[in-house]
This record gives sequence, structure tokens and C-alpha cells, in this order.
Amino acid sequence: MDPLTWTGGLGAFLNPALAITAALGGIVLVVQTGLRMGSAAVTLQSNPDGTLQGRGGVLGALDTALIYLVWALVALLLAYIVVPLVMPYGSAGILGEITRRLLPVWIALVATFALSIRFKRRLGLYGKLFDSTVGMIGFALVMFWVYVAAFVGVFDMIVTHDYLRQVSGLKNALPGVMVPDGTQGVIPHYLLGGDNLARDIFSRVMAGSVFVIAIAPLATIFAFMVGITLGLPAGYYGGKFDTALSFAANLILAFPVILLFYLLVTPEIVQTGIPSYMAAFLFAFPLIFIGVLINTRYYTQPAKRNAIILPVLGILGWLYLSAINASGTVIDFLPAWADLFDISVLVVFVSVVFVNAPTVFRIVRGLTLDLRTRDYVAAAQTRGEGAWYIMLWEILPNARGPLIVDFCLRIGYTTILLGTLGFFGLGLSSESPDWGTTINEGRKLLLIYIHPALPPAMALLSLVLGLNLLADGLREESLKD
Amino acid sequence: MTKHDQSPHPIALQYARDAKAGKLSRREFMARTTALGVSVTAAYGLLGLAAPARAGAHMQQGGTVRMQMEVRAVKDPRAFDWPQITYVTAGWLEYLVEYNNDGTFLPMLLESWDVNDNATVYVLNVRQGVTWNDGTPFTAQDVARNIAGWCDTTVEGNSMAARFSAIIDTETGQALDGAIEVIDDHTIQLNLPAPDITLIAGMSDYPAAITPAGFNPDTMLENPLGTGPYLPETVEVGIKATLVRNENHDWWGYAAGKGAYLDRIEYIDYGTDPSAWVAAAAADEVDIIYETVGDFVEIFNSIGFEESSVASSSTICIRPNQRAEIDGMRPYADKRVRQAIAMAVDSAVCLELGYAGRGEVARNQHVGPMHPAWADVPAMPHDPARALELLQEAGMADFEMDLISIDDDWRKNTTDAVAAQLRDAGFNVKRTVIPGATFWNDWTEYPFSSTDWNHRPIDTQTLGLAYRSGEAWNESGFSNAEFDALLAEANAIPDADSRRVVMQRLQEIMTDEGVTLQPYWRTIYRHAKPGFVGWDMNIAYLPHIYKIGIAA
Amino acid sequence: MVSFILRRLGIMVLTALCLTFIVFWLTNLFPNLEKLAKTQGNFRMSDEAVLTYLGNNGYLQPLPVKYGQWLGVLPGYVIAGTDGEMRARCATGGQDIADAARFCGILQGNWGYSTVFRDDAGSIIATRLGLTGKLMFWVMLLMVPGALIIGVMAGMNEGSRTDRSLSTVSILSTATPEYVSGVVFIAVFGTATFGMQWFKGTATAAMDDANFENFFLPVLTIALYGMGYIARMTRASMTEVMTAQYIRTARLKGVAFSQIVLRHALRNALIAPFTVIMLQFPFLLNGVVIVETLFNYKGFGWTLVQAASNNDIELLLGVSIVSVFVVLTTQLISDIGYVFLNPRIRIA
Repeated sequence: MDPLTWTGGLGAFLNPALAITAALGGIVLVVQTGLRMGSAAVTLQSNPDGTLQGRGGVLGALDTALIYLVWALVALLLAYIVVPLVMPYGSAGILGEITRRLLPVWIALVATFALSIRFKRRLGLYGKLFDSTVGMIGFALVMFWVYVAAFVGVFDMIVTHDYLRQVSGLKNALPGVMVPDGTQGVIPHYLLGGDNLARDIFSRVMAGSVFVIAIAPLATIFAFMVGITLGLPAGYYGGKFDTALSFAANLILAFPVILLFYLLVTPEIVQTGIPSYMAAFLFAFPLIFIGVLINTRYYTQPAKRNAIILPVLGILGWLYLSAINASGTVIDFLPAWADLFDISVLVVFVSVVFVNAPTVFRIVRGLTLDLRTRDYVAAAQTRGEGAWYIMLWEILPNARGPLIVDFCLRIGYTTILLGTLGFFGLGLSSESPDWGTTINEGRKLLLIYIHPALPPAMALLSLVLGLNLLADGLREESLKD
Repeated sequence: MTKHDQSPHPIALQYARDAKAGKLSRREFMARTTALGVSVTAAYGLLGLAAPARAGAHMQQGGTVRMQMEVRAVKDPRAFDWPQITYVTAGWLEYLVEYNNDGTFLPMLLESWDVNDNATVYVLNVRQGVTWNDGTPFTAQDVARNIAGWCDTTVEGNSMAARFSAIIDTETGQALDGAIEVIDDHTIQLNLPAPDITLIAGMSDYPAAITPAGFNPDTMLENPLGTGPYLPETVEVGIKATLVRNENHDWWGYAAGKGAYLDRIEYIDYGTDPSAWVAAAAADEVDIIYETVGDFVEIFNSIGFEESSVASSSTICIRPNQRAEIDGMRPYADKRVRQAIAMAVDSAVCLELGYAGRGEVARNQHVGPMHPAWADVPAMPHDPARALELLQEAGMADFEMDLISIDDDWRKNTTDAVAAQLRDAGFNVKRTVIPGATFWNDWTEYPFSSTDWNHRPIDTQTLGLAYRSGEAWNESGFSNAEFDALLAEANAIPDADSRRVVMQRLQEIMTDEGVTLQPYWRTIYRHAKPGFVGWDMNIAYLPHIYKIGIAA
Repeated sequence: MVSFILRRLGIMVLTALCLTFIVFWLTNLFPNLEKLAKTQGNFRMSDEAVLTYLGNNGYLQPLPVKYGQWLGVLPGYVIAGTDGEMRARCATGGQDIADAARFCGILQGNWGYSTVFRDDAGSIIATRLGLTGKLMFWVMLLMVPGALIIGVMAGMNEGSRTDRSLSTVSILSTATPEYVSGVVFIAVFGTATFGMQWFKGTATAAMDDANFENFFLPVLTIALYGMGYIARMTRASMTEVMTAQYIRTARLKGVAFSQIVLRHALRNALIAPFTVIMLQFPFLLNGVVIVETLFNYKGFGWTLVQAASNNDIELLLGVSIVSVFVVLTTQLISDIGYVFLNPRIRIA
């Protein structure tokens, strides 16, 4: 078998077709822009026969042509994804093989969209997302990576080689290269070539999504738990409590992020155990949050409350202890059988939570300050509801719009931040396939080999872009409420 | 001087026979004979060759060169830990002897030296007519004071003491009484209690810069008293350092035809990331790159820079530490575990992936064909299956090895390559990378980590520094009575052939015990823009900056 | 207004005190001191030598005492070293101990001594800050007008094709971190690989002599990342203004569209971006650190990285003070400016 080309047999027909369509589209766009310079602004005009007419003439024809061309372009791009699925191995080139590897992701994406659009009227804010093109594109990009991470992380699908396996002779090999006999994984090619240590770039990028998709949202959730648990009372009660917490939050925010990371993530500080103590502190907040949440809801039914809260807190408590307990660090008291897992990136995780939490705190506090004067809060107060019930079950649900939008943006920001850490060589292990580290590795040899750095960079870009678009779509739709 | 007219040193004659018989490389022959005081011309003569003419006629007088180099803080030369520092200080602080790529030791501030037959008495003849740049003459007293200073073990970080341990009194931590004897204004005699053939090599090393009387490291830049042709104009750590010609000083080298062609030398710091150096070179902001590593050799060749390379015994060791305790046990104290590690790793792959194939495959013995008494001992065979069996026998199949390295280009890549091969063989390996500023805090203590070792001319030097029981730099925690005894025996045999018998046993022990992984010998590279001369890479990174010039 | 500013200044000082104490504490943890000793003495130093070094140089005093000395409220140490030499905190550069001042902390204007650069920390920070100031000046000059133009153009006609394409561009620019864009710029425009070697891939020479060729890429890299965010804020603010009643009135009166945008909409649309631009300063500091490292431009961000990675305590403290000052001052200016620009807001 030979090395793969980019598009294989598929390209013979599709490449020229794509080029022609794109060129035509470009020409139409240029002509149209040129014509528009000299014409009047678009207005609807009512004809004497009672119909409304949009733009007619040359401009109108061009508009229609452009729309057809764009659809043709989309159809051709879809063909690149769909056609290879029925072609034999190797004949559809690198792109074809990649789409074939991603088949489970395509199925999951199509299913998600079909179901969501079918039932969008019953799905609240989530359903409304499917009214916004921007939101849908963003959602598709994000879900693409979520599904990739899930299929790679849980079922070990998609990846073609062990992402740490080094194959002699494939150092910086070009995309589509054959692997020597006896070293092939699922397929006998490196689809996107080999990196500086002769590892499969395609598998690394795909495996990297697991790290990014696992760490960034989880860290953001933790930051939100901390921010909400502290921000709600600060905004609701105000006073000294608020002053002290706001001062602390501003203090952390006054640190340049890089300085903070240098102070927290270096091996010397890890040696002193400070990150472990911080983990013990920060990871307690989700426990408090969920405990209070359940308690306030079922306060009036103590039996039911106890039935729910005890097992939930029991399990969470065990997870909490497992998370903060790691052998060889300052917090090491659990016997080995009780320690479920060690978080290898604990330091990075804690630092990211620590950096994000104050901003979330400020947002929640600001929203609470605003919402606590609302009538429904006064009504609840008159009903005699407890303060925490009002905060968690009256104020928080009404603050969800801006919080969800910020959540999406913050995941993107955290992803970039993790990459920054990789850039400065802080935190993650050098072999880690996460995108920040691989971009940093790839950039060193960018002048001679561009292919190792580009795929993780595109992956990072598409995920962050997707999160931004998703946030935009959500903001638009939630404003329409 | 009439010394060279006397009959050559008897050991030198033996070396000449070895060299002619092909037992000794040319470089090694030159190193050993010139270290005994034979002049370069005479040494080439012993081989029946004429000494190669030195370039110099093609140089243009004057000009500026800009060199990419990390600019580090200057300090007491004895505590120098980076050769880069000496590229700045070499402008005014010179050396007694200089070591060259062809293996010769050339006299600089010394005019010549003589070593007696059993290497216990060194007579050093100080060069006449050398003056400090304040006008006072340079005398034997200056040399004696410097040698005594090298022997002062109470100075923090004094690494010269290790090179001069032969004449140090371990009780007082100073030079032995009577070891340094000033005969007259230009003659010094060193009296050693036991033979040591490495003293001249020690004087050529980069921390051996000769400092003036009353030298104070804190004011060495404001008051740059030395014998050299340049003066420091600015030294901004991490940014830039500039040397300019000292117009008011009649450097001894002008008369001796040594050079110092340039009027100005600028060292510009572009950090430790080689891709930044490429950008600087592409932007025409530098003329010479201090050192190019791995894949960047190709990049610099491709942008039209000239390459200078020298095969050296610089290397990387990825060693388990036998003394390291993890969870109450010593995982690497078990010989089977170490052997398993050695069997699982293919040195050629490490060279390919770690250093872009730019070097020679080695055999985990830390002694190589470039050393005079190297014995041809086969390496442990590459056998991942057997490796896993051994590991299981030792009951360590589930043990997670934490493989540590510094955060840079080739050292990290090589260590990554080792980790991947160990995993391929079925080992449980985790990788940790530590930033450069932190890495050296505990470099001898890490349970399993990689360290780079520089070129050393003589086979027993590194073995003594790194593998003798209880040595400060013994990072593998290796302690073997037989090895120590054999090493002491080898050190007392000046003749390479006779020593080879002992070396064979030493190398066998290194292999059999799986003391360390030492996968390859590096070829080291330097690049410069076309149009410059005399900038070649030195095998030991020594700062021969007076040789650099612009081609006429 | 005056009491508001005074109160803010008070908070600023308190924040700076807390922050420097935290930095002081973290950098004075023993493993960090060990690292410091080894970078100062010799990388291959023994443990005893480390302790001697630290003791002789006053690092083993209690933490509050050291902090007080640095601050200048406690007299500087005078320690008789184990090697018989007397060392005093206030006697640097061969000064006689008897002549040295008793107090020499930040309050006396003494920023301390940088152990990495072997120089006075204050002068280092001043030089480096100046260089970063130059960089930031050009960044602002490129970023602010660029962002405002994009934002206003996009916000003028919400939902138009211009709006959609400009919004996509600004989202794309916020989604591209500096370490991606900077690397791509260097590869494409800084080397001959793609035949477009128009600029220099390093800004080291720009420290002394900045010109378009060697300074454009770093400036562009920082500006692009910040530009998207400001442009989106401007767009949001612009679209809001464009739907306001008085704009509709103006349109109904038949005022030309360009006049409406320039005369009526712009001033009100720029209030929100102003605060965003001010708050963007501390955020840009991140970008500055990355870009200065990437392009080898030895400014404030580069100094921060050097000081932090080498545990250069006093330089790091100086850097912290400056960055706190920048963050809090920009917040203050943003608040005050908001009040001035927006007549509807009054602060007691």
C-alpha cells in the first residue's frame, strides 16, 4: 500500500468542482459589491398590484446566484464527508480516512441535531438555540469536540495509534505516510504525519481533546460553584461580608495571571503542598453548594431531605477525599483502597479554578445585587422563606441567562489559559497530547515542518470559536425572552 | 626555551608508537603528548607530520561580530557553571593553557611546561613579557596565587578544586604545603604526592581563568583587571554583553601573532528557545550562533549559515538512582530492574528521535572510541521481551517509574524517546519535565532522570567523577567496591594499552550492572553567517574569541 | 468625588500591601530559597552550602522581619557571616557597613537588588517598563481605532452582511490566542519559508531602534487578540444606540445616514467601549508576557518571566507592585471616565 494523498480518488472529481464553485462564488461576490456601490440602498417597494418586491434586476439575480453557489459549496463539502464512507480503505485519501474514522461523531451529531430540532419547542433555552444560525454553528463545533472526546476517552474509538507510541523512521513524517510493518495500529498510515518524536499527530490531536474537554469545563464548573456559593450571599447580604470578599476577589484579580501561575505551579511550591491545601479548600465548595441546595429545597420534609442528602453527600464526600488525597503529597491519609483516583494535573486544575473563581464571584454578586430588589424576592421574603432558599431557588434561576453565556465564554478562556501554561512549560507533562503543549512543541520546528503544529492549533481555534459562537447565539436568544 | 631540544618524554615516545600503530587517535595522541609538555610542532613531528598551518593571513583587522548567546551573570571564575560566562570574561581574563579540537594543549600565559616521567613533578614556565592591563608584569607569583586559589575548597562552588584534588590537603581544604613552589619570577614547580596526568587538562578548562591579585568578583566589571585584549563595555544579564578592544593595553598576543582581530564583540541573549535564534538569524541580527542542537542544524544550514561541527564525548545519561527511596523501597537497587531498563531501550532510536541522528551510537558505558583506553566491550542486547521478564522476576512490573528531565529540546526529546520505548516494552512509566531554573536543585537526587555530561579527554575522568562511590556528582548512586578498586588501578597506569585491560573490566561492570543509559555521543555544532573566520565550535565549548575575525 | 478617589487610593495601598505580602511569602518558602541559593552560588551546591549562603545573606530570618525590612519599617539586617565577613542589607556594592543607612526598604525608595540581573531592581523595572510602554503605545494606536471602526461599522446596520462578516472576524480574533497567531506570523512573515519575508521575526533590535519592519509583528499579535473583544463591545453598544428613539427621530427628519452615525450615535456608543478599553490594560499584560517572550523583546513581561522563573524575590515584588498599580489605576480611571462621559451617573 502507498502513502495516502490528501483527497485520493475522491479529489479527481470533487477538487475541481469545489474550486470552480468557490471561484464563481468569489466572482459573484466581488461583482455584487462593486455594483452595490453605485446603487440605492435595499428597500422593499410595494407594487401597484399589491405585491411587495425586493431587489430585482442584476443585483437581485446575483443575490439568487450567490445563494445557490453557497448551497452548492455546502453540498460539495458534505460530499467530502459522506462519499468516503462507502469507498474502500485508502481510495479516498487522508481526508476520506479522517471522515471515516470520525463516523461515530457524525452519527452522534446528526442524531443530536435531528432530535433537538424536532423537539426544539419543548426544550426551553436550549431549543431556542436552534433558531439561531450562529448558535447552531457554534453548538455543532463544540459538540463535535465533545463527541470526539467521548468516543476517544470512553470507547477508545477514532484514534488509530497509541498517542505515545514512537515509531522509528517516522520523525516529522509527512501526512499520509505508511508506517513500517509490525507497528501499525488500526490502520497502516499516519493520517496527519508524525511529530518530532515520531508519534501519530492525528491520534494525538484526537486524544488531546479528551484532556481539553475534561479539564476546561470541569474547572469552569468548579469555578462557578465557588463563585456562586460566595457571590450569592455577598450580593444578598452586602455589608462587611461583601466588603471582605470583594476585596479578596479584587486582590486575586489584581495579580497578572502569568505571575500567579508562576507562583503556584512551579515544582518548589508543589513541594510545599500549597496546591493540595488549596484543592482541599476549593473542592469543598461543590459539596457545600449541593448540600445547601438540597437542604433548602426539602427543608420542610426532613425525612425526604435526609434520604436524599445523606447518600449524595456521602458519595460526594468520598469523591472529595479521593480528589484531594494523593500519595506522596502533604494530604495523604486515606488508605490506598479508599483512594479512588489521583488527579495528575491537580496543580493546574486548582490554579485554573483559583484564577476563574473571583471573576465568577463578581458577576454573581452583581447580578444578585440587581435581582434582590425584585418583587418575587420580596414575595418570597414575605412568605418567610429562608435566605438561602431565596438565593438558590429564586435569584439564581433568574440569573441563569448571563451566567450560561459567561460559562461558555469562560470555557473558551480556560482552554486558551491551559494552552498558555503549555507555552510556558508549566503544569502539564511534556508528553501530554493536550493542544497547548502540542502547539508549543510544534512551533519550535515550524520553519521546516508545519504539519505538527497546525492540527492542534486548528483544533483549539475551532473549539474556542465554537464556544464563542455558542455564547453569542445563547445571548441573542436569551435576550428575546 | 631549549626544553624541546631535549629528548622527548619517554611516555610521549610510547604514545607515538601507539598512534602510528593506530591504537591511539590523532586527537588523543596530541592531547596526551602536549599535556606532558611536548610542543605541538614536536608532537606532530613525533608522528612524522608537519604541524598544520593556522589560518590568520586571511583575516581583516577590525570589525564587529554579533553572537547569539545566553548572557549570564559573571562571578568568581572558579564557580563558573556555564561556559557562556567565559565568552564574556575571556576578553580580559585569560588562561594558562588552551585546549583545541585536534586535542592539543597550546601554551598561552605559560610558555611551556615539563612533566617528569611518572607525572609527579610539573615545571611550569611562565610566558615572558606578559603584562596586566594596568601595566604591572605578569609573574610566577600570579600563577602560584591562582593555583592556590583553585585548591581552596572553602570557596562556595569552587569546581577547580575537583580538578586539582591531587595537591589538596583534605584536612585544611587548601593546597598541600610545599606543593606549589615558586622557583623564580617565571618558573613554578608543582610537587604531587601521587601521579596525576590530568593537571594540564584541568588548567585549560573554562573555570581556570587567571585572575589578578586582590580580585573581587563583585567589582570585576567596574574594574576589569586582566591580561587579555578586550574590556567589557556593558554586561546586562539576560540581554546583552559587549567587549571592546582595550586600546591602552599592549596585549602579549599581538607580538605572538595570536590575533584579536575584532574591535568589538557583542553577545546578544535570545533566550533558550532555538526557534528564536532562527528568527534572529533570519532578521540578520546575529552573525554567530553559540550552539545549534538537533533539528536546528538543518534549519541553519537551510538559511545559508555555515556549519562547524566536532564529534565529541559530550553525551546524555538517563540513569536510575540506586539509592533513591520510593514508598519505603529502593526500586533501582535491584540489578534486574536496571538491566531490564537497559534491554528495553534501543540507543539508535534515542539518537534518531532525541538528537536528530547527529552523533554516534554509544553503549551505556560512558567510555567511547574517542578515549585512549577504550575497550571494545559489546553493549547489552536490545531485547524488550527479556526486559519485561526480568522486570517481572524482580516483582516490579506494576511499579510506576517517574522519568524526569529538564525542559529543553534534545534532552527532553531523548528522555521522551526512552520513556516511549520503556512503555512499548510493557513498563509503567510516567514523565515529568522540570523547568531549567529548578532542575538542577536536586539533579543528583532524582530517582530516574537524565543529565547531560560534557566532553572529557581521558577515559577514567568521567568514570571517576560520576560513578565512584560517594562522589558528589555520583547521580546514579552507584557503589561498587570492585569498580572503585579497578578505577584506582586504572588511574595509576599512564599507558593506554596496559590500562585497556582494566578498562575492559570497568566497562563490563558498567554494562552488566546497567548503571546508566548512555545512548549516544553528540556531535556538537555551531553556525555562522558566511564571511567570518575562526569561530569554529570548540569541543569543550572553550572561549577562543581572539581567533574570530572577518574574512578579508 | 474627592472622597471617592481617596477611598479608592486607600484600597489600592491596602491591596498592594496584601499582594506583596503574599508574593513575599510564596517566594520565601524554603524550596524557593534553595533554588535562589543554587542559582546564585553554584547549581551543584551541597545542602550545607545552601544553608550557609542563606544564613549569611539574611534569608533565614523570620518572615515578618524580612518583610518589614523590605518595606522599610524595620532596620535592615547586619549579619556576621560564617566566613567572617559582615553583610548588611543596606550596604550594597562594596559600601562600608558603618556608612549604610539603617532603613532601606521600598518606603525609602529602595526597590532592592535583583539577584538575576545583578542590578538595582528599581532601575530595571523603570527601563523595562519604558520598553513595554513603547510597545503598548503602538498596540493601542493600532488596536483602539481598529476595534472602534470595526465595531461601529458592524453595529451601524445590525444583521447586514457587513455586520455578519465583521462580527465573525472579531470572534475569530478573540478565539486566536497570541501563542498561536504570533507563531504563525513569525513563520509566515518572519522567514523565507513562504516567500513573504516582509517583517522580522524578532523584536530584540526594536528595543533600541524600533521601526515598522521589526516592531509590526509583535504589535499586531497583541492588538489582534484584544481587538475582537473591544470591537464586539462597540458593536453591542452601537446597535443599542442605533435603536434609540432619538436616532429614529433623526432618520425620520431625513438626516443623512453618515451624519446620524457621526454626529448622534458615535458619542453615546463609545461610553461602554471606553471602560472596556481601560479594563483591557491588565488583560493585555498577559499578552505582553507571551509576545515579549516569543519575540524576545525585553520589556516588563519578559522581566516578569525571568524574575518568576528564577525566584528573584525583590524584582518579583517590584513587578507585583507595578502591576497592581496598573490594574487598580485603570479601574479607577475607567470608573471616573464613565462618570464624566455619562451624565446619568453620579457618584457621591
